[in-house]
Amino acid sequence: MWSELRDLREGQDLGTPPRGGEPVALVVDGKPVTVPAGSSVMLAAATGRCPVPKLCATDTLEAFGSCRVCLVEIQGRKGYPAACTTLVEPGMVVTTQSPRLHELRKGVVELYLSDFPKEDVPGGWSELHETLQQVGVTGHPYGQGENHLQAPVDDSNPYFLFDPAKCIVCSRCVRACEEIQGTFALTIQGRGFASQVAASQGERFLDSECVSCGACVQACPTHSLVEKSLFEGGYQRAQSPKA
Amino acid sequence: MKNDSVLPRGQGRRRGPEFPPYDTATVAAILDRWRDQPGNLLPILHEVQQALGFVPPGAVGQIAKAISRSRAEVHGVISFYHDFRTSPPGRAVLKVCQAESCQACGSRELTAHAERTLGCKLGETSRDGAVTIEPVYCLGNCACSPAVLLDGALHGRVTPAALDRLLAQARRQP
Amino acid sequence: MTIKVCVPRDAAALSVGADATAAAIATAAQLAGQTIQLVRTSSRGMFWLEPFVEVETASGRVGYGPVTAEDVPGLFAAGFLQGGAHPLAHGKVEAMPFLARQERLTFARAGLTDPLSLADYEAHGGLRGLRRALGMAPTAVVEEVVASGLRGRGGAGFPTGIKWRTVAGAPAQPKYVVVNADEGDSGTYSDRMVMEGDPYVLLEGMAIAGYATGASFGYIYLRSEYPHALAVLNEALATLRARGVYGRSVLGSDFAFDAEVRVGAGAYICGEETALLESLEGKRGMVRFKPPLPAIKGLFGQPTVVNNVVSLASVPIILDRGGAHYADFGMGRSRGTLPIQLAGNVKRAGLVEKAFGVTLRQLIEDYGGGTRSGRPVRAVQVGGPLGAYFDQRLLDLPLDYEALAQHKGMVGHGGIVVFDDTVDMAEQARYAMEFCAVESCGKCTPCRIGSTRGRELIEKIVRGEDVARNHRQLLALCDVMENASLCALGGMAPWPVLSALQYFPGDFGLPEKEPAHVV
Repeated sequence: MWSELRDLREGQDLGTPPRGGEPVALVVDGKPVTVPAGSSVMLAAATGRCPVPKLCATDTLEAFGSCRVCLVEIQGRKGYPAACTTLVEPGMVVTTQSPRLHELRKGVVELYLSDFPKEDVPGGWSELHETLQQVGVTGHPYGQGENHLQAPVDDSNPYFLFDPAKCIVCSRCVRACEEIQGTFALTIQGRGFASQVAASQGERFLDSECVSCGACVQACPTHSLVEKSLFEGGYQRAQSPKA
Repeated sequence: MKNDSVLPRGQGRRRGPEFPPYDTATVAAILDRWRDQPGNLLPILHEVQQALGFVPPGAVGQIAKAISRSRAEVHGVISFYHDFRTSPPGRAVLKVCQAESCQACGSRELTAHAERTLGCKLGETSRDGAVTIEPVYCLGNCACSPAVLLDGALHGRVTPAALDRLLAQARRQP
Repeated sequence: MTIKVCVPRDAAALSVGADATAAAIATAAQLAGQTIQLVRTSSRGMFWLEPFVEVETASGRVGYGPVTAEDVPGLFAAGFLQGGAHPLAHGKVEAMPFLARQERLTFARAGLTDPLSLADYEAHGGLRGLRRALGMAPTAVVEEVVASGLRGRGGAGFPTGIKWRTVAGAPAQPKYVVVNADEGDSGTYSDRMVMEGDPYVLLEGMAIAGYATGASFGYIYLRSEYPHALAVLNEALATLRARGVYGRSVLGSDFAFDAEVRVGAGAYICGEETALLESLEGKRGMVRFKPPLPAIKGLFGQPTVVNNVVSLASVPIILDRGGAHYADFGMGRSRGTLPIQLAGNVKRAGLVEKAFGVTLRQLIEDYGGGTRSGRPVRAVQVGGPLGAYFDQRLLDLPLDYEALAQHKGMVGHGGIVVFDDTVDMAEQARYAMEFCAVESCGKCTPCRIGSTRGRELIEKIVRGEDVARNHRQLLALCDVMENASLCALGGMAPWPVLSALQYFPGDFGLPEKEPAHVV
């Protein structure tokens, strides 16, 4: 079932769902691109083979705009709009790569890494790791600070486990549960720095409203939610820096 | 694309965790009053808390069912807002403003004084269960800083001595 | 003859004992065999004098304050019902310098009326704006507001009329008027004063907004920290319905309008309009990305006017006297008047409604009288917890949107918080980051994680740990928060931090800058 879900997304992840409007022509990194109206700048960039780094966006879910890694520059606009939540307009001129964008993306990704197990950074494979590579970040300058690295693993479900230490609170699992499955079994509990993914009322996944459909596991970009079958002999958390 | 449960038979939907009992009739009456009103979750939670002192975790399922939302959604909302409690507070609740205007007029000292007097930190309840102290970020009484709210009553230009009088009064309450 | 004595019922007045004062006056009058008419009015906004008691005499109202219950027998002995002399007497209220030098348009009725008396309201110009509006085409009402130059008084300063034009032009129905009454900025209380002291002006403004844009229902999203405002608004709504001002036929016209108060639950972020809409829908107060603008897709996905309390309360007078009259006040692109709120360590804390252009120094020194503690002013925060801290060198800046923006300051909601020379600006900077961490909705990463890292970096700098490197990193982090955050909370939380670093580096243990590098 879960592998079927994975197959639904063929090849490249365009970042936001496809739309069917009239064709809109724009320029991304100097190249002309034409996509249907209603498409995001992110989808246009991916179509033009200028993929923008991303974390909270995936083309099976509606755009959310939380990770701030997909910032771009658009001629005539102030600031750095997120490519996933900005819709294409005729004649738009988009820049996806510049020293300034690199600086901001690096700054954002470093913040993620400041609350992520450092042992899991090198050699790992996940969308997060792809993004790290794209942005060219391998560490962060913040040293030891407040973090969620000690939060306990939930392995109650027979098929998958949730390691909150690797969670980047992108809400993709929550949104997948709502948008793909319609179950609404997941939420973010708390707010601000304390925000955490929770099943139902913060209980074990197995006790919650979760129906084990796997949509959340499929949507997770960091393997924080991950199939148990991938780990022979059980899941071992990498030694956390605090221990 | 809807997927059915892939759990083996007999491991389908669970009843959910066990929660302590609470006054279901009071909650039901509140739910009846707000049924079918758009955006009714916050008003419902406010009224439940007003009636019961807090939002019992057991009531989350009852509320969710009545407004056709999941327990997760209701829990997400409760945990987002600082006003909502999931356990009973002390007999009195003292909110001490922590924001800039009150800072400029000695709220840091006032907060420290309250914590010393009650023997507990912000967000906690005094040992005798009399008073819960909470931080609050602006009571709109910035022209009479520092300000506190004691059980819904606003007080301004609060000195440590004035706070002692208020707390003594609060502690005398049964 | 019955003598009219006024004691405010404003929450700030109550917080310093106005109820006890009023009760003492009633008792003393009875004892003296004097028949008085004790009216609980709104506040003049001279809060350092609260409880401020006004006696109506033949030559106008005479003021006494601050009057505690214990002062009352002495006042009676001094013949205060006849305006007698007393150490607490301030003479004729209208002539008091603090008030006489103001231009009160939105707060014209402050202190004069019983907030819940519709008769009082109408006797003081109330409902004239709505009556005139109902005789005009809705588009003409919108254009009148555009012509006034009114900009949102909540913080962002967006032109109110332009917002209305967008909603009016949106074809979808139903539409909503939403009042942002989540006045969360420390140092601000003008929304609270309107709601408690002059609720009908807000409700009149809402009805005009509804008529102009084609909305027939409104919500007031009120912060839970304002219980007094909630009670007053609900009573005012009931009165308007009973008198046919609200309901199926507003003032006998074909236009229907009603509204409801909804209470927030302790979340600063819900002052951000999209988070506010989420909260009204019964959800977590998470910020939405824009576009779509709320004017097109707002509450429950429908076209929605979201306006601040003071913005809407300014609308009736604009409709009554015309947009041009309102626009006559002010400077540059900042038209009309601004209710400025003096707060913090200031001797005469209160509401100053002035045309734009008054300087910070005039406000703090001339109106405010310097600090309450009597010590020198060291820092001033303008525009709430996300506003920059200014030092003495910037106090001659005029209060106007563009002038302050040049210095990373903002008018915001018009709050000015004064600090004396005992303030530790590194601690204020640390608090700014901590506040952002406490109040962040948690959606975007620069705000969710950055605020906590910012607090940690400031703590390290203050402890003297690797100062140069951590200082550099703090500046880099502020850049990321400013430019990569989803909304203004994360985007502006660096402003108080950067300004504290710029003007008060010594407080962080950093080398002081030459004054030349500052401005």
